[in-house]
Amino acid sequence: MKQELNRYLQSLKTHLTMDPAFENEVIRELEAHIEDSCQELQNAGLPEDQALEKCLTGLGSPKTVARQMYETYNQGTWQQALLAATPHLLFAIIFALKWWIDINILPIMFIIILGIALYGWRHGKPYWLFPWLSYSLFPIVAAGVALLYLPAVWAWLTLAFYIPLVLWFLSFITIKFMRRDWSYSLLMLFPASAFIGWLLAAGQKPGFPNLKISFMYNFAPWTSLTFLVLAISVALFIRLRQRWLRIATLATSGVVISLVTILASNQLGLASFIGLVMLILSFLLIPAFVERKVRRNQSVII
Amino acid sequence: MRKQTELVKGSIDSLLLCLIGQQPMYGYQIIKELEDKSQGYFKYKEGTLYPALHRLEKAGFLAGKWEPTTGGRQRRYYHITNKGKGILEQKRAQWRDFLSAMNMIIQPVTA
Repeated sequence: MKQELNRYLQSLKTHLTMDPAFENEVIRELEAHIEDSCQELQNAGLPEDQALEKCLTGLGSPKTVARQMYETYNQGTWQQALLAATPHLLFAIIFALKWWIDINILPIMFIIILGIALYGWRHGKPYWLFPWLSYSLFPIVAAGVALLYLPAVWAWLTLAFYIPLVLWFLSFITIKFMRRDWSYSLLMLFPASAFIGWLLAAGQKPGFPNLKISFMYNFAPWTSLTFLVLAISVALFIRLRQRWLRIATLATSGVVISLVTILASNQLGLASFIGLVMLILSFLLIPAFVERKVRRNQSVII
Repeated sequence: MRKQTELVKGSIDSLLLCLIGQQPMYGYQIIKELEDKSQGYFKYKEGTLYPALHRLEKAGFLAGKWEPTTGGRQRRYYHITNKGKGILEQKRAQWRDFLSAMNMIIQPVTA
Protein backbone atom coordinates (compact mmCIF):
# COMPACT_ATOMS: atom_id res chain seq x y z
CA MET A 1 0.00 0.00 0.00
CA LYS A 2 2.78 2.35 1.00
CA GLN A 3 4.46 1.77 -2.35
CA GLU A 4 1.34 2.77 -4.31
CA LEU A 5 0.85 5.88 -2.20
CA ASN A 6 4.51 6.77 -2.63
CA ARG A 7 4.18 6.38 -6.38
CA TYR A 8 1.15 8.66 -6.48
CA LEU A 9 2.78 11.37 -4.36
CA GLN A 10 6.03 11.10 -6.29
CA SER A 11 4.18 11.54 -9.56
CA LEU A 12 2.38 14.54 -8.08
CA LYS A 13 5.68 16.07 -6.98
CA THR A 14 7.21 15.53 -10.42
CA HIS A 15 4.35 17.35 -12.12
CA LEU A 16 3.88 20.13 -9.58
CA THR A 17 7.05 22.09 -10.47
CA MET A 18 6.43 24.76 -7.86
CA ASP A 19 8.43 26.28 -5.08
CA PRO A 20 9.65 23.31 -2.96
CA ALA A 21 8.01 24.79 0.17
CA PHE A 22 4.61 24.92 -1.61
CA GLU A 23 5.14 21.45 -3.04
CA ASN A 24 5.70 20.01 0.42
CA GLU A 25 2.60 21.80 1.76
CA VAL A 26 0.41 20.44 -1.03
CA ILE A 27 1.78 16.92 -0.70
CA ARG A 28 1.40 16.95 3.08
CA GLU A 29 -2.19 18.15 2.77
CA LEU A 30 -3.14 15.52 0.19
CA GLU A 31 -1.41 12.84 2.23
CA ALA A 32 -3.53 13.78 5.26
CA HIS A 33 -6.61 13.67 3.04
CA ILE A 34 -5.72 10.21 1.71
CA GLU A 35 -5.20 8.93 5.27
CA ASP A 36 -8.62 10.26 6.36
CA SER A 37 -10.36 8.89 3.32
CA CYS A 38 -8.70 5.47 3.55
CA GLN A 39 -9.45 5.22 7.25
CA GLU A 40 -13.13 5.85 6.65
CA LEU A 41 -13.30 3.35 3.83
CA GLN A 42 -11.54 0.74 5.96
CA ASN A 43 -13.96 1.42 8.83
CA ALA A 44 -16.76 0.76 6.35
CA GLY A 45 -15.25 -2.70 5.77
CA LEU A 46 -13.04 -2.25 2.70
CA PRO A 47 -9.61 -3.95 2.71
CA GLU A 48 -6.61 -1.61 2.97
CA ASP A 49 -5.45 -1.92 -0.65
CA GLN A 50 -8.94 -1.46 -2.09
CA ALA A 51 -9.53 1.53 0.19
CA LEU A 52 -6.37 3.19 -1.11
CA GLU A 53 -7.23 2.44 -4.71
CA LYS A 54 -10.69 3.93 -4.31
CA CYS A 55 -9.29 6.96 -2.57
CA LEU A 56 -6.65 7.63 -5.25
CA THR A 57 -9.28 7.23 -7.95
CA GLY A 58 -11.38 9.83 -6.13
CA LEU A 59 -8.47 12.26 -6.11
CA GLY A 60 -7.95 11.90 -9.84
CA SER A 61 -4.77 11.69 -11.84
CA PRO A 62 -1.74 13.30 -10.13
CA LYS A 63 -0.95 15.05 -13.41
CA THR A 64 -4.36 16.79 -13.46
CA VAL A 65 -4.18 17.78 -9.78
CA ALA A 66 -0.64 19.10 -10.30
CA ARG A 67 -1.66 21.07 -13.40
CA GLN A 68 -4.56 22.70 -11.59
CA MET A 69 -2.30 23.60 -8.65
CA TYR A 70 0.35 24.94 -11.02
CA GLU A 71 -2.20 27.14 -12.75
CA THR A 72 -3.45 28.41 -9.39
CA TYR A 73 -0.06 29.47 -8.10
CA ASN A 74 2.01 30.38 -11.10
CA GLN A 75 -0.09 32.99 -12.83
CA GLY A 76 1.43 36.36 -12.03
CA THR A 77 -0.40 39.66 -11.71
CA TRP A 78 -0.10 42.47 -14.26
CA GLN A 79 2.19 44.33 -11.84
CA GLN A 80 4.50 41.31 -11.67
CA ALA A 81 4.40 41.01 -15.46
CA LEU A 82 5.37 44.67 -15.83
CA LEU A 83 8.12 44.34 -13.25
CA ALA A 84 9.54 41.29 -15.04
CA ALA A 85 9.44 43.09 -18.40
CA THR A 86 10.99 46.32 -17.04
CA PRO A 87 14.70 45.46 -17.51
CA HIS A 88 14.05 44.52 -21.15
CA LEU A 89 12.04 47.71 -21.65
CA LEU A 90 14.84 49.79 -20.11
CA PHE A 91 17.34 48.38 -22.60
CA ALA A 92 14.87 48.83 -25.45
CA ILE A 93 14.61 52.54 -24.53
CA ILE A 94 18.38 52.93 -24.11
CA PHE A 95 19.03 51.50 -27.58
CA ALA A 96 16.07 53.26 -29.23
CA LEU A 97 17.22 56.66 -27.92
CA LYS A 98 20.92 55.83 -28.45
CA TRP A 99 21.66 56.56 -24.80
CA TRP A 100 24.02 53.58 -24.75
CA ILE A 101 26.68 55.84 -26.33
CA ASP A 102 26.84 57.81 -23.08
CA ILE A 103 29.60 56.08 -21.12
CA ASN A 104 27.90 56.77 -17.77
CA ILE A 105 24.50 55.29 -18.56
CA LEU A 106 25.33 51.58 -18.78
CA PRO A 107 27.32 51.31 -15.49
CA ILE A 108 24.56 53.20 -13.64
CA MET A 109 21.97 50.91 -15.21
CA PHE A 110 23.84 47.78 -14.19
CA ILE A 111 24.24 49.04 -10.62
CA ILE A 112 20.48 49.69 -10.40
CA ILE A 113 19.72 46.29 -11.94
CA LEU A 114 22.11 44.53 -9.56
CA GLY A 115 20.49 46.35 -6.61
CA ILE A 116 16.98 45.26 -7.68
CA ALA A 117 18.17 41.69 -8.33
CA LEU A 118 19.74 41.53 -4.85
CA TYR A 119 16.54 42.90 -3.34
CA GLY A 120 14.49 40.21 -5.10
CA TRP A 121 17.00 37.51 -4.13
CA ARG A 122 16.73 38.44 -0.45
CA HIS A 123 12.93 38.72 -0.52
CA GLY A 124 11.82 35.23 -1.46
CA LYS A 125 13.13 35.13 -5.04
CA PRO A 126 9.82 36.13 -6.69
CA TYR A 127 9.18 35.29 -10.33
CA TRP A 128 9.85 38.83 -11.56
CA LEU A 129 13.43 38.47 -10.29
CA PHE A 130 14.67 36.22 -13.12
CA PRO A 131 15.04 38.79 -15.93
CA TRP A 132 16.74 41.20 -13.50
CA LEU A 133 19.10 38.45 -12.44
CA SER A 134 19.90 37.76 -16.06
CA TYR A 135 20.98 41.37 -16.70
CA SER A 136 22.93 41.57 -13.46
CA LEU A 137 24.99 38.60 -14.69
CA PHE A 138 25.49 40.15 -18.11
CA PRO A 139 28.65 42.18 -17.19
CA ILE A 140 30.38 38.94 -16.14
CA VAL A 141 29.66 37.37 -19.54
CA ALA A 142 30.46 40.56 -21.45
CA ALA A 143 33.81 40.83 -19.63
CA GLY A 144 34.67 37.31 -20.88
CA VAL A 145 33.87 38.29 -24.47
CA ALA A 146 35.92 41.51 -24.11
CA LEU A 147 38.89 39.56 -22.73
CA LEU A 148 38.93 37.45 -25.88
CA TYR A 149 39.93 40.55 -27.82
CA LEU A 150 43.12 41.00 -25.78
CA PRO A 151 46.50 39.76 -27.11
CA ALA A 152 46.83 36.02 -27.69
CA VAL A 153 48.10 34.93 -24.24
CA TRP A 154 45.26 36.69 -22.44
CA ALA A 155 42.73 35.31 -24.87
CA TRP A 156 43.98 31.79 -24.20
CA LEU A 157 43.97 32.37 -20.43
CA THR A 158 40.40 33.62 -20.73
CA LEU A 159 39.41 30.52 -22.69
CA ALA A 160 41.17 28.21 -20.23
CA PHE A 161 40.10 29.75 -16.91
CA TYR A 162 37.66 32.65 -17.04
CA ILE A 163 35.06 31.16 -19.38
CA PRO A 164 34.89 27.73 -17.62
CA LEU A 165 34.55 29.55 -14.29
CA VAL A 166 31.74 31.75 -15.62
CA LEU A 167 30.00 28.73 -17.17
CA TRP A 168 30.22 26.88 -13.87
CA PHE A 169 28.81 29.87 -12.00
CA LEU A 170 25.93 30.29 -14.47
CA SER A 171 25.16 26.55 -14.36
CA PHE A 172 25.18 26.66 -10.56
CA ILE A 173 22.61 29.47 -10.46
CA THR A 174 20.49 27.95 -13.23
CA ILE A 175 20.35 24.53 -11.56
CA LYS A 176 19.45 26.19 -8.26
CA PHE A 177 16.35 27.70 -9.90
CA MET A 178 15.52 24.57 -11.88
CA ARG A 179 14.71 22.84 -8.62
CA ARG A 180 11.87 25.32 -8.35
CA ASP A 181 10.63 25.39 -11.94
CA TRP A 182 12.76 25.01 -15.03
CA SER A 183 10.50 27.27 -17.04
CA TYR A 184 11.48 30.21 -14.82
CA SER A 185 15.16 29.60 -15.36
CA LEU A 186 14.38 30.24 -19.03
CA LEU A 187 13.53 33.83 -18.14
CA MET A 188 17.06 34.13 -16.86
CA LEU A 189 18.75 32.41 -19.81
CA PHE A 190 16.60 33.79 -22.60
CA PRO A 191 18.17 37.28 -22.98
CA ALA A 192 21.37 35.45 -23.89
CA SER A 193 19.64 34.51 -27.15
CA ALA A 194 19.56 38.20 -28.13
CA PHE A 195 23.25 38.50 -27.25
CA ILE A 196 24.12 35.50 -29.41
CA GLY A 197 22.09 37.05 -32.22
CA TRP A 198 24.17 40.25 -32.11
CA LEU A 199 27.44 38.32 -32.11
CA LEU A 200 26.26 36.36 -35.11
CA ALA A 201 25.19 39.53 -36.92
CA ALA A 202 28.52 41.19 -36.10
CA GLY A 203 30.60 38.17 -37.09
CA GLN A 204 30.35 38.58 -40.83
CA LYS A 205 33.92 37.35 -41.33
CA PRO A 206 35.54 34.24 -39.84
CA GLY A 207 37.14 34.82 -36.44
CA PHE A 208 35.96 37.02 -33.61
CA PRO A 209 32.88 39.16 -34.24
CA ASN A 210 33.64 42.69 -35.33
CA LEU A 211 32.02 44.67 -32.50
CA LYS A 212 32.75 48.16 -33.81
CA ILE A 213 30.89 51.21 -32.54
CA SER A 214 29.58 51.83 -36.07
CA PHE A 215 28.07 48.33 -36.16
CA MET A 216 26.50 48.82 -32.73
CA TYR A 217 25.18 52.22 -33.84
CA ASN A 218 23.58 50.93 -37.02
CA PHE A 219 22.24 47.85 -35.29
CA ALA A 220 20.77 49.85 -32.34
CA PRO A 221 17.15 50.12 -33.64
CA TRP A 222 17.11 46.37 -34.25
CA THR A 223 18.61 45.74 -30.82
CA SER A 224 15.87 47.89 -29.34
CA LEU A 225 13.26 45.83 -31.21
CA THR A 226 14.84 42.63 -29.87
CA PHE A 227 14.53 43.89 -26.30
CA LEU A 228 10.94 44.91 -26.95
CA VAL A 229 10.15 41.38 -28.16
CA LEU A 230 11.79 40.01 -25.00
CA ALA A 231 9.74 42.39 -22.82
CA ILE A 232 6.44 41.39 -24.42
CA SER A 233 7.18 37.67 -24.27
CA VAL A 234 8.25 37.86 -20.61
CA ALA A 235 5.11 39.81 -19.65
CA LEU A 236 2.96 37.22 -21.45
CA PHE A 237 4.90 34.41 -19.81
CA ILE A 238 4.10 35.77 -16.34
CA ARG A 239 0.42 36.33 -17.15
CA LEU A 240 -0.30 33.03 -18.90
CA ARG A 241 -1.49 30.15 -16.78
CA GLN A 242 -0.77 27.10 -18.90
CA ARG A 243 2.82 25.99 -18.93
CA TRP A 244 2.77 24.87 -22.59
CA LEU A 245 1.52 28.31 -23.66
CA ARG A 246 4.35 29.93 -21.73
CA ILE A 247 6.97 27.80 -23.43
CA ALA A 248 5.30 28.39 -26.81
CA THR A 249 5.47 32.15 -26.19
CA LEU A 250 9.20 32.04 -25.54
CA ALA A 251 9.77 29.74 -28.53
CA THR A 252 7.85 32.14 -30.79
CA SER A 253 9.78 35.13 -29.51
CA GLY A 254 13.00 33.16 -30.16
CA VAL A 255 11.99 32.77 -33.81
CA VAL A 256 11.09 36.49 -34.02
CA ILE A 257 14.47 37.48 -32.50
CA SER A 258 16.25 35.27 -35.04
CA LEU A 259 14.28 36.87 -37.85
CA VAL A 260 15.11 40.38 -36.60
CA THR A 261 18.80 39.46 -36.44
CA ILE A 262 18.83 38.08 -39.98
CA LEU A 263 16.95 41.07 -41.39
CA ALA A 264 19.28 43.48 -39.60
CA SER A 265 22.54 41.85 -40.65
CA ASN A 266 21.83 41.85 -44.46
CA GLN A 267 24.51 39.21 -45.02
CA LEU A 268 23.19 36.25 -43.07
CA GLY A 269 21.09 33.76 -44.98
CA LEU A 270 18.59 30.99 -44.40
CA ALA A 271 21.19 28.60 -42.96
CA SER A 272 22.16 31.16 -40.31
CA PHE A 273 18.49 31.75 -39.52
CA ILE A 274 17.86 28.03 -39.02
CA GLY A 275 21.05 27.71 -36.97
CA LEU A 276 20.08 30.62 -34.74
CA VAL A 277 16.54 29.31 -34.26
CA MET A 278 17.94 25.88 -33.33
CA LEU A 279 20.37 27.46 -30.89
CA ILE A 280 17.67 29.56 -29.25
CA LEU A 281 15.29 26.61 -29.04
CA SER A 282 18.02 24.57 -27.39
CA PHE A 283 17.92 27.20 -24.63
CA LEU A 284 14.37 26.01 -24.03
CA LEU A 285 15.19 22.33 -24.06
CA ILE A 286 18.40 22.18 -22.01
CA PRO A 287 16.80 23.42 -18.74
CA ALA A 288 13.93 20.93 -19.17
CA PHE A 289 16.42 18.11 -19.67
CA VAL A 290 18.63 19.11 -16.73
CA GLU A 291 15.59 19.55 -14.47
CA ARG A 292 14.51 15.96 -15.12
CA LYS A 293 17.95 14.82 -13.98
CA VAL A 294 17.85 17.05 -10.90
CA ARG A 295 14.34 15.97 -9.91
CA ARG A 296 15.09 12.28 -10.40
CA ASN A 297 17.28 12.48 -7.32
CA GLN A 298 14.52 13.95 -5.16
CA SER A 299 11.86 11.58 -3.91
CA VAL A 300 8.89 11.63 -1.59
CA ILE A 301 9.37 9.24 1.30
CA ILE A 302 6.51 8.49 3.67
CA MET B 1 -32.16 14.70 -8.21
CA ARG B 2 -30.77 15.62 -11.66
CA LYS B 3 -27.83 17.94 -11.57
CA GLN B 4 -26.22 20.33 -13.97
CA THR B 5 -22.46 19.70 -13.95
CA GLU B 6 -21.52 23.20 -15.12
CA LEU B 7 -23.78 24.81 -12.52
CA VAL B 8 -22.24 22.68 -9.79
CA LYS B 9 -18.70 23.48 -10.95
CA GLY B 10 -19.45 27.18 -11.18
CA SER B 11 -20.79 27.35 -7.66
CA ILE B 12 -17.80 25.79 -5.90
CA ASP B 13 -16.32 29.11 -4.71
CA SER B 14 -19.60 30.26 -3.14
CA LEU B 15 -20.17 26.89 -1.50
CA LEU B 16 -16.67 26.75 -0.04
CA LEU B 17 -16.81 30.29 1.30
CA CYS B 18 -20.23 29.67 2.80
CA LEU B 19 -19.24 26.42 4.44
CA ILE B 20 -15.92 27.65 5.81
CA GLY B 21 -17.65 30.88 6.87
CA GLN B 22 -19.67 28.80 9.34
CA GLN B 23 -16.60 27.18 10.91
CA PRO B 24 -12.94 26.46 9.97
CA MET B 25 -12.65 23.14 8.16
CA TYR B 26 -10.07 20.89 6.50
CA GLY B 27 -10.31 19.39 3.01
CA TYR B 28 -11.75 15.98 3.80
CA GLN B 29 -14.26 17.49 6.23
CA ILE B 30 -15.41 19.95 3.53
CA ILE B 31 -16.07 17.13 1.05
CA LYS B 32 -18.11 15.25 3.63
CA GLU B 33 -20.04 18.32 4.78
CA LEU B 34 -20.92 19.31 1.22
CA GLU B 35 -22.14 15.83 0.48
CA ASP B 36 -24.12 15.46 3.70
CA LYS B 37 -25.71 18.89 3.72
CA SER B 38 -26.78 18.66 0.08
CA GLN B 39 -27.97 15.05 0.52
CA GLY B 40 -25.45 13.82 -2.02
CA TYR B 41 -26.10 16.51 -4.66
CA PHE B 42 -22.69 18.17 -4.31
CA LYS B 43 -20.21 15.35 -4.75
CA TYR B 44 -16.93 17.01 -5.70
CA LYS B 45 -13.91 15.10 -6.87
CA GLU B 46 -11.23 15.63 -4.23
CA GLY B 47 -8.74 16.57 -6.91
CA THR B 48 -10.95 19.54 -7.85
CA LEU B 49 -11.46 20.68 -4.29
CA TYR B 50 -7.85 21.38 -3.33
CA PRO B 51 -6.99 23.59 -6.32
CA ALA B 52 -10.21 25.54 -5.59
CA LEU B 53 -9.26 25.94 -1.91
CA HIS B 54 -5.76 27.09 -2.83
CA ARG B 55 -7.13 29.49 -5.43
CA LEU B 56 -9.37 31.11 -2.80
CA GLU B 57 -6.44 31.20 -0.42
CA LYS B 58 -4.23 32.89 -3.00
CA ALA B 59 -6.96 35.45 -3.62
CA GLY B 60 -6.94 36.22 0.12
CA PHE B 61 -10.48 34.93 0.80
CA LEU B 62 -9.29 31.99 2.89
CA ALA B 63 -6.30 31.38 5.14
CA GLY B 64 -4.91 27.85 5.61
CA LYS B 65 -3.32 26.88 8.90
CA TRP B 66 -1.90 23.56 10.11
CA GLU B 67 -3.57 22.63 13.38
CA PRO B 68 -3.39 19.50 15.52
CA THR B 69 -6.54 17.42 15.91
CA THR B 70 -7.65 15.41 18.95
CA GLY B 71 -5.86 12.34 17.59
CA GLY B 72 -2.60 14.31 17.48
CA ARG B 73 -2.50 14.42 13.70
CA GLN B 74 -2.02 17.68 11.84
CA ARG B 75 -4.60 18.92 9.37
CA ARG B 76 -4.71 22.04 7.30
CA TYR B 77 -7.74 24.03 8.43
CA TYR B 78 -9.15 26.77 6.23
CA HIS B 79 -10.43 29.95 7.87
CA ILE B 80 -12.42 32.65 6.14
CA THR B 81 -10.75 36.07 6.09
CA ASN B 82 -12.45 39.48 6.30
CA LYS B 83 -11.97 39.86 2.56
CA GLY B 84 -13.60 36.43 2.12
CA LYS B 85 -16.54 37.49 4.30
CA GLY B 86 -17.06 40.53 2.09
CA ILE B 87 -17.05 38.43 -1.07
CA LEU B 88 -19.39 35.91 0.53
CA GLU B 89 -21.90 38.67 1.26
CA GLN B 90 -21.69 39.82 -2.36
CA LYS B 91 -22.19 36.28 -3.62
CA ARG B 92 -25.18 35.79 -1.31
CA ALA B 93 -26.80 38.98 -2.62
CA GLN B 94 -26.11 37.94 -6.23
CA TRP B 95 -27.60 34.53 -5.57
CA ARG B 96 -30.75 36.00 -3.97
CA ASP B 97 -31.27 38.34 -6.96
CA PHE B 98 -30.63 35.52 -9.44
CA LEU B 99 -33.00 33.17 -7.63
CA SER B 100 -35.85 35.67 -7.37
CA ALA B 101 -35.44 36.64 -11.05
CA MET B 102 -35.38 32.98 -12.09
CA ASN B 103 -38.48 32.25 -9.96
CA MET B 104 -40.35 35.05 -11.63
CA ILE B 105 -39.78 33.47 -15.02
CA ILE B 106 -39.43 29.77 -14.48
CA GLN B 107 -42.11 28.93 -11.92
CA PRO B 108 -45.41 27.73 -13.42
CA VAL B 109 -48.20 30.30 -13.23
CA THR B 110 -50.79 29.29 -10.69
CA ALA B 111 -54.35 30.25 -11.47
